[in-house]
This record gives sequence, structure tokens and C-alpha cells, in this order.
Amino acid sequence: MAKLVVLQQKQPSFSILPASFSDFNGARLQTQIQLKRKVWKPKGALHVSASATKKILIMGGTRFIGIFLSRLLVKEGHQVTLFTRGKAPITQQLPGESDKDFADFSSKILHLKGDRKDFEFVKSSLSAEGFEVVYDINGREADEVEPILDALPKLEQYIYCSSAGVYLKSDLLPHFEIDAVDPKSRHKGKLETESLLVSKGVNWTSLRPVYIYGPLNYNPVEEWFFHRLKAGRPIPIPNSGLQITQLGHVKDLARAFVLVLGNEKASKQVFNISGDKYITFDGLAKACAKAGGFPEPEIIHYNPKEFDFGKKKAFPFRDQHFFASIDKAKSVLGWKPEFDLVEGLADSYNLDFGRGTFRKEADFSTDDMILGKSLVLA
Amino acid sequence: MTGTIVDKEKKKVLIVNTNSGGHAVIGFYFAKELLGAGHEVTILTVGEESSDKMKKPPFNRFSEIVSAGGRTVWGDPAEVGKVVGGVAFDVVLDNNGKDLDAVRPVIDWAKSSGAKQFLFISSAGIYKPTDELPHVEGDVVKADAGHVGVEKYIAEVFGVWAVFRPQYMIGSGNNKDCEEWFFDRIVRDRPVPIPGSGMQLTNISHVRDLSSMLTLAVEKPDAACCNIFNCVSDRAVTLDGMAKLCAQAAGRPVNIVHYDPKAVGIDAKKAFPFRNMHFYAEPRAAKDILGWRCATNLPEDLKERFDEYVKIGRDKKQCSLR
Repeated sequence: MAKLVVLQQKQPSFSILPASFSDFNGARLQTQIQLKRKVWKPKGALHVSASATKKILIMGGTRFIGIFLSRLLVKEGHQVTLFTRGKAPITQQLPGESDKDFADFSSKILHLKGDRKDFEFVKSSLSAEGFEVVYDINGREADEVEPILDALPKLEQYIYCSSAGVYLKSDLLPHFEIDAVDPKSRHKGKLETESLLVSKGVNWTSLRPVYIYGPLNYNPVEEWFFHRLKAGRPIPIPNSGLQITQLGHVKDLARAFVLVLGNEKASKQVFNISGDKYITFDGLAKACAKAGGFPEPEIIHYNPKEFDFGKKKAFPFRDQHFFASIDKAKSVLGWKPEFDLVEGLADSYNLDFGRGTFRKEADFSTDDMILGKSLVLA
Repeated sequence: MTGTIVDKEKKKVLIVNTNSGGHAVIGFYFAKELLGAGHEVTILTVGEESSDKMKKPPFNRFSEIVSAGGRTVWGDPAEVGKVVGGVAFDVVLDNNGKDLDAVRPVIDWAKSSGAKQFLFISSAGIYKPTDELPHVEGDVVKADAGHVGVEKYIAEVFGVWAVFRPQYMIGSGNNKDCEEWFFDRIVRDRPVPIPGSGMQLTNISHVRDLSSMLTLAVEKPDAACCNIFNCVSDRAVTLDGMAKLCAQAAGRPVNIVHYDPKAVGIDAKKAFPFRNMHFYAEPRAAKDILGWRCATNLPEDLKERFDEYVKIGRDKKQCSLR
């Protein structure tokens, strides 16, 4: 049930009427912040949702993307099994999720406990179950995928969470799905997986997100800014702060994953999935402040070459322009992101950090190195 | 919305064209494309045929328009009806005015003489700068920009209209240097001074892309109707990236030097041909609504441009470089 929420600007806490997670397709926190809304004319693309219930396996599913995706799939009536080692709880009630919705979801979701690196176990357990569709949310290497394909010769669709990190760095942006990829990138395992899927002749779909954000994010993206904003600390941003990046809300990504299920137009296709607009590093710091009701932050720019941070990451983004066009997903799938940046960051803040939850403790050691030097120079 | 009715009827098109500046070349390509597609074209260039401005491209190549069957006239757009000899047109494109004073006479005359469609070359420069990119049709514009007044008036007065907001363009026949600014320095082994970090994004299209978008609007007037189109390529390039691509096209090394205009006391607007900030619009409406496709391929296009640069001897020419 969608609820309208009015956020007061410039206040550190919000009173929120929580939106149910299992119904977040249309529900979105409405804000007072005036954002220019672009009116999109409806596309010709059909919303093809799988009309038959499918027996679905999600590799992973208990940490971030899968938490939202599994709920959507269960709600659509599919039989969903999560394959995990069981390190994280199989189900956890989400902030804002009603007891009833959570109970319903918990009663339906299934768990297959195992280590996907144990290829023999993967093969035997999966072939015993005969899944029709696999969502591979946590696969990193191609060799992890082979046993799955071998176990399921009648597999209808293999839906893979790849990454825009596979694109070869370029002076011409945004990245389009047709662009050159980098066989040496940190994400080459994702590339090799995509190639394997192509070579095996299976019906595959690959989604390439950029930076994902939203409640329960275990990658300290927005959390990194929120820690500093909460502590009233300046935000240290490398170099000019003009570097452009792109964030995509996890709920929009989950919706995209559902849209490609049983969708002919998605067969053997790659889609970039992220937010509708890109943002500078400086702009992102300001957007996080706005979303959390903090005053405009003090931003300090520094030259990372002047410091030795050791193994620590002084900033959560790659120090370069990095963004991808989502035109293909919009025009082919009829998908579009529902969250724009400040709204999405507010959703993350209100349902996660703003409630006192986060994944990584604040670590300001690199900040202090930077600030210490700036003080000396000042 | 794409693939809507294409009007294959022959149209009579009037292009009111500026006599100088970066946008001048748009009318030249558009005229030739329309003529190639079988339409009737008149191009009215502001000013006098005998003026010195007409010795520069694209004007010194207007014979190409004439030999393709087009008509070239000169005059004051405020007296457009008289200049075109009382002829009426189906489509009028104003590729000249930057404010209502300049364009209103053309709009009013077009309406009263029965033109069915009005097209206007505005500018992506009217978008309000923002941390969130790209500029997308519908985004906030600077209320006091001259072009904005024109866009509003057109929408009030005309039934079928379309507005186009370009950025920078390259192409043979361009009136204002774009890539040449880089070539000048690269071939003479001079450093290429770029203000700021060089990370600023801009959008540089081949003018044939702008022309193809305009042509689609003429052929799909109902689909195009009452829309704003960012008239740009679908890729951004950084300022450093542009310098590197120009160097690659020239087959030579490049020495990029970054500077802080304020610290050096230089007006970057005069010293450098692009805005010293992110300035990047995307052609989303054209792709969505007109089914337009981008053909700009900067690496390839710059090679062509460099070949011409050398062919006309600009690499040997004396030029004053700061």
C-alpha cells in the first residue's frame, strides 16, 4: 500500500510512514524537495511478466539485491529457493516491512544450503531439484557457473548480475552495451562468465549495474558519506570533485531483474541498469546531505598522490568518470528507474543509516591524514 | 512513439541562417540533406551577399546548394517576406536569432504566410548548470536566456513546432574553429593549454547528426510536434579526451598543460573554445520520439577533419598561439 510521506528539510530525523518492502514497486517516499520531473511517454514495450509460476533458484539472495528480488518474485507467485552457505540469516524482517508481509515471505522462501565453490555438490543438488530459472546474483568466476548449467540441461533462462566495471575505460562516455570491454579489468570474472553463457547456447540475460545503493547496502557507498555527515566532519574528495559517477537504487535493479524473467526481448541480451542521471563526486556529497537532512557539507579536495594510505581506501569510488547509458533497458524492456538520486538516498537513509544501522564502522583514519596535511598547509 | 507517420510529401522549406558563428554550418548541411531528399529549399542568409563574411565557409560553398537545386538569398530577417519575394513555405527553420527581437518577425511572418511547421535552433547553453548530468529535455533552463523567450513565443504562437538545442559541432564547412584549435597546436608541437582539470565533459557532434535530426522532424512533423530536442551526439568527451583524440587523428603526440585561469589572469572564455565546466546534454527525446540514431564517431570524424586541415594547408599557415 503506497503511503505519501512528507519530509521536512533541514532536520536530522524524519517521522516516516514505512512503505512495505514487498510492495515497493510503486511505493516511494514522496519528498518536498522539488525535483524537476520528466514526463515519459509510455513506450511500446510490453511489460512481460512470466505468467506461469517458475521454479527459481537464486544464487545468493540474503544480503542485498537478492533480499529485494526474492520478495518480488515470491509476491509474483514463483517458487523461490536461495542457495547460500547460511552465513547470513535466510530471512530478516526489513525496516518498514509489515509483520504480515514478512511472515508471508518467510513461509514461502526456500533455502538450499551449500557452498557454490563445491562444484560437485552444486551439480548434484541442483539437478535433483530441476530449477527452471537461475538468478545468479553473487557469481564472480566462470567456473562457478559451469556446474549449474551442467546440472540443469532444461534451464529456461540464466539471469546474471554482471557489472559495468567490465567496460574498457574510455574518453567517450557513457558506456553503451556495445562498447569494448576490458579483459584485464578487476571484473574479468564477470566477463568470462558472460562469454561462457554465450558459448553454452543457454538462454541468458546479463545485467550490468554501475554503483548500487539503497537500504542494507554492504558496500560503503552512501554509508561512507553518511558517517561523515553525522559526525559533522568535512568530506574529503580526491582531485577536482568533478569526476562523474552514477548510482542505481537496489529496488530499481530488482525490478529490472524481474522484468527480464521470461522476456523474449531480454534473451541473450546485456543491459546496463542504473540511475537516470549521473552525478559529480561533489554533487553526490551534497545530495547525501540533502537526503539525510544535514546542512551542506564542507568539501575538502586533495591530491591522493601526496598520501600513502596503505591498504585503506580513502574514497569509495574509482577516481575517474564512470557511467553507463540505460537507454537500452528503457527502450527494450520499458523499464525505468523510479528513484532519482536524492529520493533514493533518502530511502536508504530513512530505512537504514538514519535508524542507526550500518555495515561498516566509521573509520576516519585516512580523513585525518588528509585533514592533518591541509591544516598544516593552511 | 518511434516509427510514426513519415511525411514523404515534398516540402517547401525556408532556412533563415546566421552569417557567422558555430551554428552557421547547420543550415548548410540541412539544406543539402533536404535537397537530396527531394524537398525545395531556400536559404536566407542574414546580411549582404557581397559582405566579407561570405568569403568564409560554409558561405563560400553555397554553389553546392544552388547546383543541388536550392535557392540562396540575402537580407534582413525582419523583412523576411520581402526578401523571399512573397513566397510561402511549408516549413520555416530559424537558425539565426538568439532572442525574441531577432526571431519574432520571422515567427510572425511564418504564421501569417501559412507555414505549417516552425523549427528553431536554440542552444543547450540555456540549461541551468547542475551537479547532476546530463542535461535532459525538460530540465530547468536559465529564465533570462534570450533563447528561452523565443522558445516560449514559438510554443504560444505556432501549432506545429520543434525546438533544437545544440552544443558544439565539427564538420567540413564549419564557420568557427573547433577541432582546429587543437590541430593548430598539435601540428606545431606547441602545448595544448586546457583550463582546470581537463575532466570537464562536453559534447561534440558531427553536424550531419544535427542535420539528420532536423530532417526527421520535417518528415515526422506530428511526432516532432511541440517537443524540445537536444541536438547533440550521444557521447560526452572530456576536454583532455578531445585533445588526445585530435592528436591521434593527427598521428602526433600531444602535450596537455592544465592551468587555473584565475591564477594566471586569463579569461578562459577567450583563451579556450569550450566552456570551463561540465556541459553535457544527451539526445534522449530525439532517440525516443523520432527514432533518431547518432552517427558521430569522433575518432573517425576527426581523422577526416585533420586530412582536410592539412589539405587546405592550415598546418603550414602562420598562426598566433597564446
